[in-house]
Amino acid sequence: MIQHFVAFQAMKDDILNQIEASRQVIINEKNKDDPFALVVDGKALEIALRNDIKDNFLQLAVTCASVICCRVSPKQKALITRLVKKYTGKMTLAIGDGANDVGMIQEADIGIGISGMEGMQAVMASDFSIPQFRFLERLLIVHGHWCYKRISKMILYFVYKNIVFGLTLFYYEMYSRFSGDVLYDGWYMVMFNLFLTSLPVISLGVLEQDVSSDICLQFPALYQQGQKGIFFSWKRIIGWMGNGILTSLVISILNVYVLSPSAFRKGGQVVDIAHLGLTTYTTIVWTVNCQIALIITHFTWIQHIFIWGSIFSWYIFLLFYGALPPEYSKREYKLLIEAVGPAPMYWIVVLLVVVISLLPYFIYMVIQRSFYPMDDHVIQEMKYGRKVVVDDEMWLREEKSSRKPTQIGFSARVDAKILYLKDQLHRKKMFIIKSIANSPIRRSISTNPLENRD
Amino acid sequence: MDQKNKNSKKPVYSKFSQQELPAWKPILTPGWVIASYITIGALFIPIGLLAWTASDSVVEIVDRYDEACVPDDFSKNPQSYIQNPNIKKTCTRSIKVPKKLVAPIFVYYQLENFYQNHRRFVKSRSDKQLRDVKAENDTKFCLPIAYDYDNKPIVPCGLIAWSLFNDTYKISTRGKDISIEKKGIAWKSDAKAKFGSNVYPKNFQKDGLIGGATLDESIPLSEQEDLMVWMRTAALPTFRKLYGKINTDIEAHDTIKVEIQNNYNTYKFGGRKKLVLSTTTWIGGKNDFVGMAYISVGGICLFMAINFILLYVFRPRRLGDPSYLSWNRHPIT
Repeated sequence: MIQHFVAFQAMKDDILNQIEASRQVIINEKNKDDPFALVVDGKALEIALRNDIKDNFLQLAVTCASVICCRVSPKQKALITRLVKKYTGKMTLAIGDGANDVGMIQEADIGIGISGMEGMQAVMASDFSIPQFRFLERLLIVHGHWCYKRISKMILYFVYKNIVFGLTLFYYEMYSRFSGDVLYDGWYMVMFNLFLTSLPVISLGVLEQDVSSDICLQFPALYQQGQKGIFFSWKRIIGWMGNGILTSLVISILNVYVLSPSAFRKGGQVVDIAHLGLTTYTTIVWTVNCQIALIITHFTWIQHIFIWGSIFSWYIFLLFYGALPPEYSKREYKLLIEAVGPAPMYWIVVLLVVVISLLPYFIYMVIQRSFYPMDDHVIQEMKYGRKVVVDDEMWLREEKSSRKPTQIGFSARVDAKILYLKDQLHRKKMFIIKSIANSPIRRSISTNPLENRD
Repeated sequence: MDQKNKNSKKPVYSKFSQQELPAWKPILTPGWVIASYITIGALFIPIGLLAWTASDSVVEIVDRYDEACVPDDFSKNPQSYIQNPNIKKTCTRSIKVPKKLVAPIFVYYQLENFYQNHRRFVKSRSDKQLRDVKAENDTKFCLPIAYDYDNKPIVPCGLIAWSLFNDTYKISTRGKDISIEKKGIAWKSDAKAKFGSNVYPKNFQKDGLIGGATLDESIPLSEQEDLMVWMRTAALPTFRKLYGKINTDIEAHDTIKVEIQNNYNTYKFGGRKKLVLSTTTWIGGKNDFVGMAYISVGGICLFMAINFILLYVFRPRRLGDPSYLSWNRHPIT
C-alpha cells in the first residue's frame, strides 16, 4: 500500500516537472506567435486531471494552440471537456462520431455528432448532427452566424412589441383612476400575440439573413460578431426597451389628445371608450409590424405576406367581430363599419402616430448606417449596392484580410520547417565562421589584439 | 460529379429548405434616406395644412355654467341648493357668438372630473335587459340599482342609466327660439340592435336616491336618444356628449340666450359642467393639434432631409468603402 502510494507520488512529481518544464519552454520562446502543441496520453492524463494538479495542467494546455490526447477513455474525454469549460469559462464545442464520444458531446456546451461509420449513438446524444466532418465549417460560420443574429433580433423585437402593447394598457389606467377598466376588448388582447404579430416574428427568426451563405464563408471574420456578442449586449437591450417605452407613450398620449373631447366625425359624434380602444390598438398593430419591416434585411415573399397579411387580418377580424350580434360583440358591434371606418380622422391619426413612433428608430438606423456602419452593412453594400466601389481585386483583398494569419495547419508547418532549416543553416555558417576566427592559424596571422574578441 | 447515385443520402434540394428563396435586400443608401424623408415631408405637410384649415374653420363656443348658475345665497353650499326640489333651477346665460355658425350646429354638454370609465360604473348595466323585454330580471350586475322597494325589476337597471344627465337647454337668439333637434343623436346601431323597440322603462328613478333624469314610460328604449347617448360610456374623465342639433344658422356677433335647467348634481364630487356649441368639418370638431402635428412632423423630416444632403455633400462615405470594415480599423492579431 505504501509502496503504491510512493510510486504514485513519484509519478505525480514527474508529471508536475514535465508540466513546469513545458511552461518554461513556452515562456522562453522568443517569437510569441509560435504555436505549441501538447501531446498527452491516457495514463498521464489520469494523474494530470486530479484535483491538486489539474490547474497547472490546464494552465499549460490552454496556452497551447492544440492539445492531442491519445488513448483516453470516454470518461476522461468528458472530464477534460468539463474541466476546460469550467477553467476557461468559454463556450466549448465537442464533435465526435462514436459511442465513446457521447460523454464528451453531452458535457460540452455544443455537441455535434457525425453520423456514419460508427453508428448513430453520437448523433442521438448530440445537439446538432452532420454527416461529414467538413460540414462543421458551414455549420459554424454560416448557420451559427445567422442563428445568432436571428435570435438576438427576435428576442429584442419581442420584448419591444410586448412593452408597447402592455404599457398602453397601464397608461389608460391613469385616466380611469386605476379602477381596472380595460381599454381594449378581451378578444383584441388574445389576438395580439396569437395572430396579429406572431407570424412576422417567426419569419424573422427562421428566414433572416444579413449576408448570403457564400459571403459568410468568404468572410469568416463576420463570425466574430457572434463571439464578441455585439448584437445582444446590454446596450441593445436597454435601447430596445427604451424604444418600446417611448413608442407606447407616443401612441397613448397622441391618441388620447387627438381624439377627445371634440367630435371626430362630420356627424358630430364623439369618441367613447370603444372607439379610443380601437384606434389605439390599430396604431399599435401598424407600428409594431412596420417596425419589424424596418429590422428585416432579407425580404422574401413569406415575410411580405406575413407582415402585411397580419395588418390586413386585423381589419378582417374587426369586420367579423363587429358583425356578430351584440350579445357576443358587445361594445365592438359594427364598430369599424359604422363608426370608425368612415371617419377620416381615424386614418389620419393612425398614419400620424405610426410615423412619429417609428421616426426615432429610423433616424438612429440612418445615422448608424451612414456614419458608423457595421461589417455586415459594408459587405452588403459592396455586394448588393449599386456599385460605387467594387472590383474583384478589392473583394479578394478584403477576403484575405478577414482571415487570421494561420499559425497552425499545413501552410504554417511548411513555413515553420523552412524557418527551422534556415536557422540550422545559419547556425552552421556561424559555427564555421567562428571556428575560422578562433583557429590558431588565424590568431597567429593577425596580431591585432582587438580581433581576439571571443 | 453529382450523379444520381441511388445510395446517395443527400436530401432533396428545395429553395426553401436551403434558404435560397429569391429575396429583396434593401440597402439604406443616401438616396433612399433622402427620398424617404422628402416623401414623408411632402405627404405630411399638405395633409397637415388641410387638417389645420378645416379645424380653423370650425367655430366652437364653450361656456362653463355650473358655478355661475348657483344663486349667491347657496354659493358656499351648492349641494343644498341642488338637492332641494323646491328651488327653481332655471338659469339664463348669455353667450356672444364670435363667428357665424353654419348649420348643422351641434350642442354638447361637457362634463369634467366625471369618471364614466371607472370599472364599477362601466360594469353596472345589463345589456340583455335593454335588448329583450323578456329579460327584465337579468339584473345581476346592476346592484344596487336593480330592484325597487316592491322588489320589482328596474328597467333600465344599473348605475349608468340611473345617473342619466338631466340638465336641459333652451336656446334663443334675437327673441326667437331656436329649436334643438333631439332625434338621431345616438348611433344607429344602438337604436336598431342594442336597445329594444319593445322595451319600456319601468320603475325607473322611483324609489331611493334620485341620480338623474326620469324617463317617459311610454317611449321605448330604442327611441330614448338621451339615454342611448349617455349609456355609451366615455373614455376619459373629461368628455362631451351630444345633446342635440341645430339646423339653422346663427349669425356672427349675435348674443345667444340659453335657458338652463341646472338639475344635475356635479357639486358633490367637484365636477364641472360646460355647454358647447360647435360646427364640424370632415375631420370633426375643433382639433388644431392634428394639423399642427402633421405640419411639424413634415417640417422635421424636410429639415432632416436637408441636413443629410449637406452631410453627404461635405462628409461623404463611399458605399462599400472597405476602410470601414472592422478588421481594417483594428487589425486581427
